[in-house]
This record gives sequence, structure tokens and C-alpha cells, in this order.
Amino acid sequence: MEFEFDEDQRLLQRLVRETVAKSRSQPADQLWATYLELGWLEAPPVELAIVLEELGYAADPTPFLATATWFAPLAGRLPSGSGTGVFDGTGRFVLDADRADEIAVLTRDGVRIVTGPELGAARADIFDPTLHVAHVEVGDLVPGIPDLALMGLAISTVGSCRRILDLAVAHVKERVQFDVPIGSFQAVKHKAADMYVAIERARALAYFSALTIAEDDPRRGRAASMAKAAAGECQRIVFRNGFQLFGAMGFTWENELQIHLKRAKAGDLLLGTAAVHRRALLEKTRQERERSGPQGERSGPYRETSGQEGVVTG
Amino acid sequence: MKLDSGSEVEEFRAEFAAFLDAHLPTPDEAGPASRSSADVPAWARRWQRTLFDAGWLLPGKPPEYGGRNATLPQQLAHLEELSRRRIYHSFNPQGIGIVAASILTFGTEEQKKRWAVPLLRSEITAALGMSEPGAGSDLAGLRTRAVLDGDQFVVNGQKVWTSGAHDADVLLTFVRSDPAAPKHKGISVLLIPTDTEGVVRRPFASMAAQDDLDFNEVFFTDVRVPRENLVGPLNKGWSVAHGSLGHERTMLWLSFAERLDDLIRDAPSDEEWYATLLMDAQALRLLGYRQLGGDRDPAELSVLKLLGSEAIQVASLNALEDRGPEGLVHPEVTGPPNHMSIDHFISSWFERYARSFAGTIAGGTSEIQRNIIAERVLGLPR
Repeated sequence: MEFEFDEDQRLLQRLVRETVAKSRSQPADQLWATYLELGWLEAPPVELAIVLEELGYAADPTPFLATATWFAPLAGRLPSGSGTGVFDGTGRFVLDADRADEIAVLTRDGVRIVTGPELGAARADIFDPTLHVAHVEVGDLVPGIPDLALMGLAISTVGSCRRILDLAVAHVKERVQFDVPIGSFQAVKHKAADMYVAIERARALAYFSALTIAEDDPRRGRAASMAKAAAGECQRIVFRNGFQLFGAMGFTWENELQIHLKRAKAGDLLLGTAAVHRRALLEKTRQERERSGPQGERSGPYRETSGQEGVVTG
Repeated sequence: MKLDSGSEVEEFRAEFAAFLDAHLPTPDEAGPASRSSADVPAWARRWQRTLFDAGWLLPGKPPEYGGRNATLPQQLAHLEELSRRRIYHSFNPQGIGIVAASILTFGTEEQKKRWAVPLLRSEITAALGMSEPGAGSDLAGLRTRAVLDGDQFVVNGQKVWTSGAHDADVLLTFVRSDPAAPKHKGISVLLIPTDTEGVVRRPFASMAAQDDLDFNEVFFTDVRVPRENLVGPLNKGWSVAHGSLGHERTMLWLSFAERLDDLIRDAPSDEEWYATLLMDAQALRLLGYRQLGGDRDPAELSVLKLLGSEAIQVASLNALEDRGPEGLVHPEVTGPPNHMSIDHFISSWFERYARSFAGTIAGGTSEIQRNIIAERVLGLPR
């Protein structure tokens, strides 16, 4: 397989980074207009992941994530305005349900589209004041989380984690104690290195998920759970180490670290934590094994097994 | 980004698979077993020679060095095809992967003919003399001395951890040739035949078993080495070390990915750690594939080593713990019997866990890898 971005994807990544950096302090509706104008909502899965990673990095205040990865895969189209989806069977903690123009609801009779105002869901109080979450009162809900929603939340969380690492690295390079920058201490370096490795791992699995969705590969269900679980595992390390490396300053309201710590933690808690998706991955892997028979379980030099990647993902 | 690797790679893979099906030694032909990383029994020498002659030993090299000028993705497919069947293409891995590779990169034409080709054809075997009692992570602090006396070097000192030295014909030895220079700038590399007077090799057992003899201490007392055995320029040994190990490190992640695949197959579990293992194996391959694209920071190879070796260690420990008191049993069949592998790690679950520390200690400890990531990738002060 080829796991490098191609030229167009690299260009897109640069464009998104520049756009997001330039419009950092703009209000949400202005940002939203920019995203629409640039056509980011229509991006196919891998390109969408590129956009979402950078929006996660910037703690994006718009309903972009919910519209592109909660509404669209359920409704099979983009909403007029913004959108979100109800697909976990409970209707609780639905991203942007308080402000979405359209809401796609997964019910026993299939997908139903309702307008946001019609539903009138009130925003819930949560620890992250920049995130919109609401509980939705609709009957006959059934669970069926789209792979794209798991991937989207995973790569957004990876973006938050990258931001936390960048902030922490900048801090430990500047903060002087015992007459040297604390970043010169190995105890500090090793925490930062562990954050970096966790991010690389989660990022790779998130893009793998996007790629399996883009190519409708049979591994897409497992890849989506891997992505969500890895993002959750990643934020555990990055939250803990990033917070710790900042010392008491990271605990203050005025330090922007708090914004990204909260986003990262919310990214794990929504749509199933790392533990939930580790178990989901085991279940999906078991089902896959049952479908494909005992082949690939054990192999000696003469035993033909399924392809390497097939072995890896079960 | 795309999932398939292209027909050029898949045709190459299929051709190699057909070759293996036709030529692989059978279990009856494969005996006796190799006892160390430089002990290559006659049947295994014949096998390596078969690979060399067919251009399947090091496909990335030209035919005179056992290859067919394959591309990097094709070389990866070759290694994957071997690992899928748990096959070693050489029972003297450091002889091919590091010693011959170093000579091909830094050696003279004469040295390539005299040493590299016989190594590749499995006519001789080699070991790598780098570490010393006082030079492990701080390799550049090595103290084995080489003094030029006419057209010979006179070598005095000691190496340790020299895998397979007692079975090897030649040692690629890193020596201090200029004690006055800064420590990275006074190192040279010599090929020292093990039958030279003054070379004493003492194998010592690992914790796995009293008769598991691969590690060696090697003592050099007034060992006279012809000047023509100098590999690369005098006092430029540090760049040889970087070059030869760098080559090895490019594909090192793949051997970790293989170990993870082995654990996936050998230790299926309903516990959550098994999901983490599936994820680690997939992530390592993805990051490794990305590395093939070129233009990557070599320091990022540290990410692959750290991720891979630590994942193996965690999964091996979990596999051991899964068994509870049954994990005490030794010997124990923990993987399929395989005459084509030099791994002894299938002897028990405890041994598999114990051997996982080779990955986190050898070739730069996990702590050193974290330093490299922090300093060279993240830019933290030294």
C-alpha cells in the first residue's frame, strides 16, 4: 500500500493549515462561511480527515465535524446549513444538536430527517464550554454509528493532541529551572517523546480508517474502531503528560492548554472510549474470523495464509 | 494514499512466492539446527547460496551481490513474503545485514570480492564487534586500541555482546585509531579474521538456558591486522557505524512487525490487550510503509523502533499473564515448529517475554530512542 499523502493532499493540508491559522480569532459563523466556500464539506474521506485534523488542532468552534461525519453518512447528503446525526440508540450527548439546521435520526424504520428548530434540543452543560452537545428526545432509536463518525472524532482528537504536544514542547523549551530549560531533562524529554509516538500511532490508524472508508475496504469497520480506540489511548498519554509538563500554569483558565485538554478528553468520551472500542475491535475481529474460517490462525513455512494485512487486522 | 501496492510489486511478490514454493528446504533436509547467529549448518549454507544465485538474497542489490536491482517497495514485498512464512533468508543475519552491507557501501573492490561476496554466498560467516564493557549506549566511547605499525594495525582491547563471534570467521571490529581526537573522530573499522593470533573468544550463556550460547566476550592481545583490512577511511569509523546501522534500521521495523504478527497468531485472547496488539501491529506497518516514501527524517526511525519493541514487550507480557500458572511451563510449544527460523523464542511464554528485552535494549535502548525523538524530532535542548 502507499501511505504517503500525494501532491494534491499535501497542497490541501497546507491550504487548511494556512486558512485555519489566519482566521484563528474569527467568530464561528464567519469560519463556517469560509469552510463552505472552500468546499471542505464535500471532501472525500482522506481529504476530509486532513481538514478535520487541522480543525481539531485549532479547536474549531463550528459544527463542521457533526455536519460532515454525523449527518452526511446517515442522510447520504449534506444538509442545508449545518447538520448532525443521532445514531447511538440513546439520543444523549449529540454533538451540535442544539444548533444544527437538520438532524438525521437513525430509527427502527430507517433514517428520519428532522429540522433542528422542530426538535428544539437544549444545550447540555459539559466541562468543555466550546463544544456544543445536546440530548435529543425521539422515539424508536436504534444504534448504528457510521465508520466516518468514528474516524472523524478520532482524527479531530489527534489534532487536539498535536496541539497539546506543540504547546508543551514550546513551554519546556522556555521554562528555566535550575538555570536550564526544563526540556533538557531526560524525565521531561521522555514524556514528550511518548506523546509524539502515541500521536503518530493514532494518526496513522485514523488515516488508515479514512482510506478503508474511501475504498470501501472490508476492513473498514475494524479500522474505524482501531482509529477511535487509538485516539482515546493517545489522548490519555497526551493529556496526562502535557498537563504535567506545564506544571501549575496548565491548570489556569487563561492558559490555552485547557481548551485543547478538554477537547481531547471529550473526543475520547463521545461515541465510546478507547476501552469500548478495544472490545468492539475484538468482537469485529472474532466475527471476521468466523466468516473466513480457521485460515490464517497459525502458519508454518509451508502453510499459505491470508495476506499480511489480513493477518494483522484479523 | 491508496491501499493496494501496484501490479509491479504484486508480480514481484508472486514470482518470489513461486520460487519459495519450489526451492524451500523440507524439514527432513533442514538439519542439524543452527546453534548461534553465526553457526550456519551445511544445509542452510546451500539454501542461502540458492537465494544468492537466483538474485533473491538481497533483491535491492545488483546480480553480482545476490540481487536483481529491485525497488524499495519490492524489497519490502520480498521481506514480507519471507516473514509471512517465518523464514530467515540467512542464519547469519548480522553477517549479511550489517557486515556485508558495510563492506558493499564503504569497502574497496578488493574487500568486496574477498569478504562481502563470500559472506553473501555463505562461504564464511561474520560477527559485529561494536559494544565494549565501557561502551554500550555511548558507543563512541569505545577503547579497543589500534596502532598502525608499518603496514599493519596492532589491536589491543576487549569487545562484549559480540553475537555469534565463537562461530564466526571474521569480526567487523570498531577500534580507536586516534586517541587524541574527539571521541567520534578517532574511530576506524577493521576486518579481523578470528583465527588471527591473539584473538580469544569466550561465549557466555543468556538467561534463557545455560547452553544458549550466542553472546561472546572477545579479547584482542597484540593482534596484527593488515592495513588492507581497514574498511572506509582511517578515523572515519563513526560514519561507517552510522551508514551500516542506518541501512539495518531502515528495515528493522519490519522484524518488529513480524514479531507482532507472530504474537497475533500464537496468543489469541479475548482480553483488551489483544486489541491493543492488533492496533500496534497495524500502526507499525502503516508508519513503516510511510517511511518507504523517502525524504523522511532518519530520526523518525526511532519512532518505529520504540513503538515496535515496546509493543512486543507489552504483548509478550500479556500473553504470559494470560496463562496464569501455566505460564511457568518450560519448555512449552508457543508457536508452530519452524525449521527455517533461528528464533528460539518459542521455548516458553516466559522466554518470549524475556527475549523481548533484546528489542528494547539492543541497537539503542528505548531510553536512547526517546532522547533522539525529543532532541531531533521535537527540538528539545541536549
